[in-house]
Amino acid sequence: MARRLMLALFSALFVLYVAGPVLWLLSSSLQMESEITAVPPNWLPPHPGMHNFVAIFSAGDSAAYTNRGIAGFLPSGAANLLPSLYNSLQVGLWVAALNLLVSLTAAYAIAVIDFKGRRATLYTVLATRVIPDIALVVPLFLVIRNLGLINSIGALVVTYLAVTVPFTIFILISYFEGIPRDLYRASRIDGCGHWGALRHVYLPLSLPALVAALMFAFLTSWNEFLFALVLTQSAAAQTLPIIIAGFVMDFTTSFSFVNAAGVIAILPPVLLAVIFQRYIVSGLTAGAVKG
Amino acid sequence: MAAITLQGVTKRYGSVTAVQALDLAIHEGEFMVLLGPSGCGKTTTLNMIAGLEEISDGTLLFDANDVTRLPPHQREVAMVFQSYALYPNKTVAENIAFPLKLRRVPKAEIERAVAGVAEQLELTPLLQRRPNQLSGGQRQRVALGRAIVRNPSVFLMDEPLSNLDATLRLSMRSLIKRLHHRLKATFVYVTHDQAEALTLADRIAVMQGGVVQQLDTPEGIYERPANTFVASFLGSPQINLLREGLPRPSWVAEGREVIIGLRPEDVARPAAGLVTLGGRVELVSPLGSETQLEVALGSASVTLRVPKDWRVNEGETLEFGIDPARLHVFDATTERRIAP
Ligand SMILES: Nc1ncnc2c1ncn2[C@@H]1O[C@H](COP(=O)(O)OP(=O)(O)O)[C@@H](O)[C@H]1O
Ligand SMILES: [Mg+2]
Repeated sequence: MARRLMLALFSALFVLYVAGPVLWLLSSSLQMESEITAVPPNWLPPHPGMHNFVAIFSAGDSAAYTNRGIAGFLPSGAANLLPSLYNSLQVGLWVAALNLLVSLTAAYAIAVIDFKGRRATLYTVLATRVIPDIALVVPLFLVIRNLGLINSIGALVVTYLAVTVPFTIFILISYFEGIPRDLYRASRIDGCGHWGALRHVYLPLSLPALVAALMFAFLTSWNEFLFALVLTQSAAAQTLPIIIAGFVMDFTTSFSFVNAAGVIAILPPVLLAVIFQRYIVSGLTAGAVKG
Repeated sequence: MAAITLQGVTKRYGSVTAVQALDLAIHEGEFMVLLGPSGCGKTTTLNMIAGLEEISDGTLLFDANDVTRLPPHQREVAMVFQSYALYPNKTVAENIAFPLKLRRVPKAEIERAVAGVAEQLELTPLLQRRPNQLSGGQRQRVALGRAIVRNPSVFLMDEPLSNLDATLRLSMRSLIKRLHHRLKATFVYVTHDQAEALTLADRIAVMQGGVVQQLDTPEGIYERPANTFVASFLGSPQINLLREGLPRPSWVAEGREVIIGLRPEDVARPAAGLVTLGGRVELVSPLGSETQLEVALGSASVTLRVPKDWRVNEGETLEFGIDPARLHVFDATTERRIAP
């Protein structure tokens, strides 16, 4: 009994620890600037309102911009928020889609087709991830600049793929190897070529892993800061983390506004998680336990 | 395309040679059984015929066509796996229809074919189920259905019955035999169960260590085993193989070291024309219609199967007769059969 009580207590503490900042983000995004700086703090919004969100969505519109009471506190980069959100979404979706396409075919080849040097191929792919990003960022900058891709979404997509593809290949391979080999054999006998076996056996039976790979790629590119900072220089290609980080540089920043931006930033990943939640748990543990 | 010819077919996995220079001519419409202990290369051979494993060396012909490098989906063979290998995300009907669907057979025709196969294999009430809602025997019938729906001229089966319980195995065995009679296709059937091999096969290829030890009809293999391995692999209980204690047939050269084999059932009451032997009965195991005995013979002991009306008791001395013509003689060094 005492044991269960302790368990419940610590679970509650842990939930508070993890969810607390998110809840504060949510609560403060609905408050006025003066309300969030109050002491003692307003845990719940005294006069909940959408004014911060309205400010975000009208920040690009200069007329509305000057008319707002809050305008004086708006960070200087506020107008870039919506474009950067769009950039982030674009980069995230491209990375998620291309990552899956590339990794799926590569993982299939390595896990299923018995070619010379398959182990070596896998280790080479994985070895690229041993080098820390910080060591790569300058050479990468030079390469991207020479390609004339600086400050483009494409530069980010390509760079993020280099990060996500090796891991995704690794996860998919261990998932594929858990799929009985006889199913592959049966499909080949029944008339499938390699594309057919991929489509009729490996795709349908690895949905959880595929969803996990999608989420992983999207979140990685959604959160990424270092490469985005170096490879993009203007609002044309900058992503959300860069713009939001820029807000806190201003002396007179409205933190309720920044927090509203934060809420918008966590929305797409949360939405993804909700849509795919029934696949996620089994997918994330896929590499760990073969079942 | 229905006759299958293997010429010097070899499979190497790195330094392991799973199948060694295999020569085998399987006739059109034949029921060929590959028989051997686990790890002897049966599955590898079957997979090479199917195109699932690359052939390291040698040539594979279907009739006169060289198919050595042909991918499996262009070989038009059907296969049944030990693990059944049903697609877990498809229903029974979809599993059976799958090979036809891939061949773009018109929908109406697929439905007709699936219904026909389901009828034959008593699967009609199960068509909408998924494999995880089926028993082992039902799954095996679905796997058979998926193979026969294409009307292939070559059937490959890899220990299809070894995951079934004994009763089910017997009924599936006769189902497969009837299937062969009706389809008149070439069957290559892999098993480690000698009883299965003896009942099903037109010819048996007994394998060990990646090499065919003997290729013959079931009767030929049982009556004239080519070496001591084949002799002891077929027959239950096992053949008695003794260096001394059993009479040497008169045609065996004086001084030649041999191993003499006696099938447990090749004994009779002492009579004229038979050699009479005797020994203490050490163990009596009644098997219903027959009785299995362990009888001491000098320093060794032999297993015998005798009619139950012999009424033998443990501890007694039993006299029995052996027909020297039914003894098997093997060279003691090469362990190969020698005949007069
Ligand atoms: N993929 C493989 N890699 C390495 N060795 C293998 C592989 N498949 C089979 N072998 C080896 O080849 C031999 C024959 O195997 P197999 O054909 O499966 O035997 P069987 O079906 O008669 O039990 C065994 O010694 C096995 O260990
Ligand atoms: Mg096998």
